[in-house]
Amino acid sequence: MDTFELTLVAQEGQTAVLEVAGYINNEGGEVIAREARKLLDSGCRNLLFDLRATRIINSIGISLLLEVLERTLEVKGTLAFCSLTPSIAKTFQIMGLAQYARIFPDRPAALDELTAAR
Amino acid sequence: MAEPVRLRLVLPRVARAELIAGDAMDDLGRRISFPRDTLAEVKLAVVEACLNALEYSAGEVAVELTAHGDDAQPWIEVVVTDHGPGFDPSGVSRPVLEAKLHAPRKRGWGLELIRRLMDDVTITSRPGLTTVHMIRRTGGE
Repeated sequence: MDTFELTLVAQEGQTAVLEVAGYINNEGGEVIAREARKLLDSGCRNLLFDLRATRIINSIGISLLLEVLERTLEVKGTLAFCSLTPSIAKTFQIMGLAQYARIFPDRPAALDELTAAR
Repeated sequence: MAEPVRLRLVLPRVARAELIAGDAMDDLGRRISFPRDTLAEVKLAVVEACLNALEYSAGEVAVELTAHGDDAQPWIEVVVTDHGPGFDPSGVSRPVLEAKLHAPRKRGWGLELIRRLMDDVTITSRPGLTTVHMIRRTGGE
């Protein structure tokens, strides 16, 4: 599926869960960055992006995710991803993203930890 | 002995043109039963090489995809050619996440991804002609 879609599926306390579907390029990345900024500005501190329906993130999309990461770290929040395809997991590993962001196998595992931490 | 399956494309200057090449790669790889997860990595490398070519050249971007499926170990070969100003590949520094996080410009991951996702990458570049030649074997990293 290449049509990009971002859906805020849950927001409880300081944790928001967003489902991302489709190709994350410059346009998709900007939508993500905009929504993340809005959530962080409204007091949300944990952002979980469920990438189950995302097959490919290009390098421009990556750079926009880094903007989200930078902003999340500035507010002492946590940026997390779950349900990565093997190729996206490898992309994140090449970048060294796990040093700064949390990566979980699935949404329940992520929420267990993110909601327990706050 | 079966001939390799080869496809030549000239990318149109339209939104997401890089995905046309990526999707074609996906199709070709499936025809030789290339492992799905490995193929996804090749697809990303193709997308990145095309993005660079489309961004840095105004002229034609050509892509040649070849799936070699008849060997004991199937392999894929990709050549992306553009006619932009060229660049010195050895002068492109490797991105470091910590530095990128605090830098205003966070881009610069494309070449690193290409090099890490493919087994062999050769870039030749001079003004007017840049060629990125990439190979991925099934047993690659």
